Amino acid sequence: MTRLTSIPGLPPLLACLGILVVWELLARWYGLNGLPPASQALPQIPHILSDKESLIDMGESLRRMAIGYGLALLIAVPIGLWMGRSRYAAAFFNPLMMVIYPVPKAALMPIIMLWLGVGDASKTLVIFLGVTLPLIYHSYQGSRAVEEKLLWSASAMGLGGFARLWRVVLPAALPEILVGCKTGLVLALITMVTSEMIARQAGIGNIVFVSLDLGAYDTVYAMIVIIGMLGILFDVGFEVLRRRLVGWADSPHTIMVGSA
Amino acid sequence: MIAIEGVSKRFDAARDRRHLALNDVTLSVAEGEFVSILGPSGCGKSTLLYIVGGFVEPTAGRVLVKDVPVRGPGPDRGPVFQEFALFPWKTVLGNVMYGLQQGGVPRAEALARSRELLTMVRLSAYENFYPKELSGGMKQRVAIARTLAYRPNILLMDEPFGALDAHTRTGLQNDLLHIWDKDRKTVLFVTHSVEEAVFLSDRVVMMSSAPGRIKQIFDIDLPRPRSRAELLLDRRFQDYVVEIEKMFDDTAQQAPA
Repeated sequence: MTRLTSIPGLPPLLACLGILVVWELLARWYGLNGLPPASQALPQIPHILSDKESLIDMGESLRRMAIGYGLALLIAVPIGLWMGRSRYAAAFFNPLMMVIYPVPKAALMPIIMLWLGVGDASKTLVIFLGVTLPLIYHSYQGSRAVEEKLLWSASAMGLGGFARLWRVVLPAALPEILVGCKTGLVLALITMVTSEMIARQAGIGNIVFVSLDLGAYDTVYAMIVIIGMLGILFDVGFEVLRRRLVGWADSPHTIMVGSA
Repeated sequence: MIAIEGVSKRFDAARDRRHLALNDVTLSVAEGEFVSILGPSGCGKSTLLYIVGGFVEPTAGRVLVKDVPVRGPGPDRGPVFQEFALFPWKTVLGNVMYGLQQGGVPRAEALARSRELLTMVRLSAYENFYPKELSGGMKQRVAIARTLAYRPNILLMDEPFGALDAHTRTGLQNDLLHIWDKDRKTVLFVTHSVEEAVFLSDRVVMMSSAPGRIKQIFDIDLPRPRSRAELLLDRRFQDYVVEIEKMFDDTAQQAPA
């Protein structure tokens, strides 16, 4: 077995195959309407991916996700770094985070829809909120853990306060920040889909629910598989980026992603 | 060169838990002098060094460097820490060049000077390595080169060889003396090794703990350049070590464990 597991990519592939086999067998065994066999659902994937309208829907979803995620990066990382370096900033933002963190961001959707309507702005804001907190949290932890003597060495070289934050704290905290980015990426995907389930108009989540209403269960399952594949794609892409950015650091700890 | 005048440092962990780390320390160090500060752990010797570096503010007293009061860190005083404190995202070369580029030295010149220093600490072959790929002794040689790069007048060394094994440690002591002999910078060197202090220094300052204050200062009258192999056989070297070690033991026994 050790030889098999050492082939890169093989164990996850086997796991996927296993799930498909179990799915197929269960579906055939029970013969339920709501559980079409894999052999029926999976062929829908190429259909969906070649359908212009669903592609536009997905593009819309991903665009919102990118905007929400990008905004969160721009705002959360500086706040987190600042919190890690200033007791006052930490004292101010920490209680706020404590209150907001456990609130499911999708639960805010009705309120946000009241303010901003059911369009892009609401959905992007929910994605932004979902991503912001883990990003702030990990940036904060990373910034707080920066060795004091790194900063001293830098200040002896003449780096001032802002330069130290930008050129020492940021790179030193980067491995931890990227842990937050990775968590945030998954959360962005989750909040993106949930927001579209609540404010149904367009997007990946909308396709899922419209198909559900129409009783097109094979499409529902196919979409769930597509969302899962998107998640894997993001994750793999992110790992490549991470290795390029922080290859100098020791390997990161494994990441558990909470739900949103 | 350095005048430490009545410096005290109190840490307030809580209102009822105050710790007087340094009590009224006065010491002056001449230009080009190599002075070691020796004492049991917790005697505030590192704190004293940090105050000279401008990293920590004294509760009372002041430090003058070339008659100017210390208000913060500056490139005239280069620190070398026990923890190496290399920038892990920079290569060996990048670390050594960092201070030079910060000081506005043109890239080509910074590169030439950094390579020269890496040759001096025998790490030319490693310029593209990252710190995590180096051994402890190599890391500390990079850290020394990085500090020497921006030409501080004063080196502040905080137990620089404390985290290294005995063999690497004596090797680096030799390297340091060799480098120091070239331009005789002023060095403040914190250590808890008596032998190391005697081997390197012109003067050894013995501190006692809780609160930290200067107990006695020893002039080490041994010829330079010094060679470890010769000194170990030298009666005067042995006498210094025995005498200071004896006092060190007394000091350590008085300190609360």
